[in-house]
Amino acid sequence: MAVTGVPPATVDAQPPRPDESAAVRVPWHRTPENRAILLGIGMFAPAVLFIATLIGVPFVMAFVYAFTDVKVGSITSHYVGLENFRSILQSPSFRKALVNSFIFTITSQVLVIIGATILSTALKDRFRGRGFVRFLILLPWVAPISLGAIGWKWILDSLYSVINWVLVALHFYKPYSAPMWLGEPQLAMASVILVHTWRLLPFSTVIMLAGLTAIPKDIPEAAQVDGAGFWRTLFQITIPMMLPIIMVAVLFGIIFTFTDMTVVYVLTAGGPYDSTQVLPSLAFFTGILAGDLSQGAAISLFLVPIMVAVTYVMLRLAYKSEGA
Amino acid sequence: MAKKRSGSFTRRDFLKTTGAAAVVAGAGPYFLFPERAQAQQKTLKIAQWSHFVPEYDKWFDNEYTKAWGQKHNTNVIVDHINLTEINARAAAEVSAKKGHDLFMFLSPPAAFEQQTLDMTHVYQEIEKKHGKKIDLAHKSTYNPKTKKYFAFSDSYVPDPGNYYKEWWAEAGFPNGPDTYDDLRTGAKKIKDKRGNPCGIGLSQELDTSMALRALLWSFGGAEQDEHGNVTINSKATIEALKYMKALFQESETSEVFTWDPSSNNRAMLAGKTSYVANAISVTRQAEREHSPISSHIMVCKAPKGPVRRIAAEHVMDCYVVWNFAENKEGAQQFLIDYIDNFKQGFDAGKWYNFPCFPSTVPDIKKTVQNDPAADPPDKYKVLADVLDWATNVGYPGYATAAIDEAFRTWVIPTMFAKVARGDETPENAAKAAEQEYKRIFERWK
Repeated sequence: MAVTGVPPATVDAQPPRPDESAAVRVPWHRTPENRAILLGIGMFAPAVLFIATLIGVPFVMAFVYAFTDVKVGSITSHYVGLENFRSILQSPSFRKALVNSFIFTITSQVLVIIGATILSTALKDRFRGRGFVRFLILLPWVAPISLGAIGWKWILDSLYSVINWVLVALHFYKPYSAPMWLGEPQLAMASVILVHTWRLLPFSTVIMLAGLTAIPKDIPEAAQVDGAGFWRTLFQITIPMMLPIIMVAVLFGIIFTFTDMTVVYVLTAGGPYDSTQVLPSLAFFTGILAGDLSQGAAISLFLVPIMVAVTYVMLRLAYKSEGA
Repeated sequence: MAKKRSGSFTRRDFLKTTGAAAVVAGAGPYFLFPERAQAQQKTLKIAQWSHFVPEYDKWFDNEYTKAWGQKHNTNVIVDHINLTEINARAAAEVSAKKGHDLFMFLSPPAAFEQQTLDMTHVYQEIEKKHGKKIDLAHKSTYNPKTKKYFAFSDSYVPDPGNYYKEWWAEAGFPNGPDTYDDLRTGAKKIKDKRGNPCGIGLSQELDTSMALRALLWSFGGAEQDEHGNVTINSKATIEALKYMKALFQESETSEVFTWDPSSNNRAMLAGKTSYVANAISVTRQAEREHSPISSHIMVCKAPKGPVRRIAAEHVMDCYVVWNFAENKEGAQQFLIDYIDNFKQGFDAGKWYNFPCFPSTVPDIKKTVQNDPAADPPDKYKVLADVLDWATNVGYPGYATAAIDEAFRTWVIPTMFAKVARGDETPENAAKAAEQEYKRIFERWK
């Protein structure tokens, strides 16, 4: 009996005994198909483990907490049904935070998409120093968010604001009447939105740049030959072709913004009087700092249906525009 | 089977030998030197804030805990936490059931009661030597429902007024504002003449919360009564709100909405504000840095309101020993010994922390009359009778978990700030605060 891969001379010299034929059988994990499966599992495992431990477990805990009366120092807890949700709906701070979360997210995303479209269009063509400009634009995304937010806190500080110093030095304002960027409700919300936009802009710009470079050059060139100007090409060719990738950028942006509390926490701590409070920061203040874990969990769970709905809609839109 | 070669050292041999060596190394001392094993050094892990007066931390970390550790054959490890991170860290330790043996809060940690040792024994031991604790400590660390001391308080921090001497003299108040009427009148005069605003905070932070509670109580209002019933919606509260609205509109700027706990220090030290309600960290920092402004900033008692002169403690040191602490006995003994040596801490902290056991600093009224480091030396004399006008958060009741949640979700600053800006009437703001207090109290029943 010949064995694949074994020289015939050897086979002739020492015919294999019945039990040796099993020894040369390829182990199951060495077969090409199983090796591919194992490689796949191995490559997926870290991500699955990461998501399960750092996102899955806390999510399940939050879900459980939201239906109990657990407090930060509790030894036991009891099922209370929807009581936590009923309670937070009565809280003016929660209602304000809910509205603010939408304002914060929608406004910053509109600004991010407009800014990213402009930047990616400007950065797509070659010019001297393009690499350096790209590096500068990426910096806010690369730097830790807390560091950037603390920097902005000092730039907007009531006493040491460099912006106010310039405004006073240029005699636009008297020394004690310069704008309090974080002290007026509207200005504070605008400041928080702009700092968050500054933070997210590089991420969306990179995504959009990737989308732009993927558009075959002959299509806009053909449009130009047909007489289409810059704006017409942008709105009727470039943006429609980039719609799936814009949707991905928006989806990530919404998730990052809706669930972010760093900018608000560092800049305003939700003030003045809750006018910049958002759901994640309120959940942190209530659940961790004030010790009412179950209510903090209920506040944070309010984000989940919103996120699921947004994700569904965005992915559907991306899918449709891709199909079109 | 292959025969083992003589002199070879297999992997199994290696494991056997090293395993045996490890067992001998680990257990050896217990057989050979039992007395040494018994005397093995213990560890005591302490977490507390980074003190506003850095000299205190130097003394505590490098001198006191080292000496105490040597005496008790204990390795004392002290970790300092930023004051805004204390509760988050405590929550993490409780969740992990692991952390420090002794954990210091800056406000009564009633929410953690089920996770802490009853400190009755510690109080009793100390009271045998040093007499009764002050009522402020009792109300801040005792739960009357469970009859348990969930924490131990060694000290509190007074919350007086800090004012710019020359400006207030110019305004007709050479000793600073003595009443809230003085504060309003003088602050307006200074703002009108010099442009420098008054600095009573209206932000979501510690100093604001204390200053506004002082104002509320001085006008006769309170969050709750002695029995823990919500009383925030009262005529007195509405009067306090009207006062703050007038003070803000006449003498302050919107910067008070932006403040964090150190902002009023910075504003005062920069010579910007005419008055802030704060602990003596402002003046101590000026003295430490030999700042020229030091001689211009004076300390006065908390202003007197229409009903009383009263202010919250600025911060309340509250130590807890977790149920899951690894060195419970050491932690409790440390506190007992610490009170024996409290005078050293009082001096090291430049009188920032006042004792909860008054006998530990017996000459305190005389001491604060004269501080050679201060300019003038009698700058701190107004603190001599601070116990007459300092009280706990939750006054006139106890500092309960519900009061703590209301404190940390900034119900009082929000109520005052909305009225000060004119976004809400005093009546509606007091009503909204009442609803919020009732909702929170319901959750902690």
